[in-house]
Amino acid sequence: MDRERALTLIYGAIDAVNQQLPAARRLAKDPATVIVGPGGALDSLGIVTFALALEEQSTDALGRSVTLFKPQWFGDESSPFQSVDRLATFLSTLEHS
Amino acid sequence: MRERLLLVADFNVETLARYLANTAMPGADVQAAPFGQVYQTLSSPGPGAEWSALIWTQPDATIDTFRRAANFEPVDAERALDEVRAFAESLKRFARNTRSLFVPTWTMPWWSRGYGMLEFRRDVGLAHLLSRMNLALADAVAEEPAIFVLDAQRWLAAAGPRAVTLKPWYAAKTPFSSAVFEQAAGDLSAAFNALGGRARRLIILDLDEVLWGGIVGEVGWEGITLGGHDYAGEAFADFQRSLKALTRRGIQLAIASKNDEAVALEVFDRHPEMVLKREDFVCWRINWADKAQNVAELLRQVNLGAESAVFIDDSPIERARVTTAVPGVVAPEWPDDPTRYREVLSALPLFDTPELTDEDRGRSRMYAVDRTRQETREAAGDLDTWLQSLNITVIVEELTSADLPRATQLLNKTNQLNMATRRLAPHELEQWASLPQNLFGDSGLTGIVGLTFAPDHARLTDFLLSCRVMGRNVEETMLHAAVRHCRARSVASLVAEFMPTARNAPCLEFLERSGLQRTTAHQFRWNAAEPYHVPRWVSVDDRTNTSSPAER
Repeated sequence: MDRERALTLIYGAIDAVNQQLPAARRLAKDPATVIVGPGGALDSLGIVTFALALEEQSTDALGRSVTLFKPQWFGDESSPFQSVDRLATFLSTLEHS
Repeated sequence: MRERLLLVADFNVETLARYLANTAMPGADVQAAPFGQVYQTLSSPGPGAEWSALIWTQPDATIDTFRRAANFEPVDAERALDEVRAFAESLKRFARNTRSLFVPTWTMPWWSRGYGMLEFRRDVGLAHLLSRMNLALADAVAEEPAIFVLDAQRWLAAAGPRAVTLKPWYAAKTPFSSAVFEQAAGDLSAAFNALGGRARRLIILDLDEVLWGGIVGEVGWEGITLGGHDYAGEAFADFQRSLKALTRRGIQLAIASKNDEAVALEVFDRHPEMVLKREDFVCWRINWADKAQNVAELLRQVNLGAESAVFIDDSPIERARVTTAVPGVVAPEWPDDPTRYREVLSALPLFDTPELTDEDRGRSRMYAVDRTRQETREAAGDLDTWLQSLNITVIVEELTSADLPRATQLLNKTNQLNMATRRLAPHELEQWASLPQNLFGDSGLTGIVGLTFAPDHARLTDFLLSCRVMGRNVEETMLHAAVRHCRARSVASLVAEFMPTARNAPCLEFLERSGLQRTTAHQFRWNAAEPYHVPRWVSVDDRTNTSSPAER
């Protein structure tokens, strides 16, 4: 998938999780937005919601089952979920079915 | 009043709490009870009269016989139903100390095939048992006006195949997807709007490309697309049937269309496939004027606020114009494809009501009569001649339990001529109502006067009148009835305290011109040594046990 498409999917997942956040804590649709780790606005339930939404959208986009929900990634600052930018880079490596 | 909702579930319901508080019902106080503490919570005295509660459980966690059935053990269905009725009793006890109680139906995920082809066989299938359990639950609480069983299966269907997957359960102890919670939040928001008197009551419709296809001004009534053996024609006719069906629930229809009136009305009179007839509309504005102006005039004519109206127009420009110029009107995004019209209309969460009375079902007819009255007024010219022509008789009766559904509905739906805007559930009204008086008539129960007596004065606790009969001297007659009761009890004065809301300015305007003495910005007083006279053109039939005669 190309990076543009990856960012669109991530922003769709941000829309989903933002509906559950107060206006002041909503995630910006920006590559620099932190998802996991210091400076991130999501708690554990928010991360689960975000990851599951992104997993569904990626599965639909790629036409094959994609597993992004890996709890070991959510406590790891070096994981793909650290920021929108890093996540977009990771999704760009995924192949269509 | 700030909405307060306690969520009680046997799963992690925090996602729903967040969605409600931040999107569906911003500003509401939404709290989740401790996860998995359903029976402990239901055994408590309840959260209090200011709180509503949602009790959302899974069938295998709540009904042990169903859990065993889901493990394919042979079970006695009657035993499951006994457990359901016991659960319903605990809901009823809890409901006594809540404002409203919402209970989603029990569901099963689509991927649970159970016994497959035997799923709806009696005493075998899980789907059969679950359906019986849901019906038993609904029947067991049917007489409880504060308990509402919500259709959760619809939420799952709307959320699609990922509505229930096991991953969120394993990850966060929540069995449903965010899309299910979004649907649930929408229904809860609609329910709170209904209970708070904020349900929509009027649909204002465009004509061309809404009720039929084509531009009638160009193609004439014979050339429009409607009915027949045409997919779009069928869709327009079906959409009209759905609108007509809504009128049977008390929703009114009106028209705002840029057309020549005579040409447009010819469709109603001559097209053989028109489902909606002229008499289905309470009023219309068919001309070339600004639509926002027409919508505002229609609202004035039917005495409804903008917050009561839905505007349906195929043009996004007209929708934007109306919602900007008449704030409060809702104009749903409208599809280009007429085959989707019926779906979009049926899915609007805007028309829920906590009760459905015979008067709701007959409201279209009453409004049609009102339209005739209004036309008589326009023909009569001056107000006195018009009021005289109406031959209004106001019947004053004491509240009885038979009136509770309609009286509660009136309390909770009336906005404009409503002095205190108290919102009460039926059981709350029943508890409070020692002396409210009702006004009945051809127009049905249309007004409520509530009085609280102190040794030296009476306080007007409730004073509200349906917008359908505002401006016909019924307001003054209600004051007459209140003062008459004061005089019968020998209290010195009647005190009215106006409680301002965003929508009840018409009530203040009435109090200001009522003849009552203004004592503070929002307080008015009448010296009960003096009668408050019945308006000249109104007859009063007082069936209460007040000894004082009607005073003209």
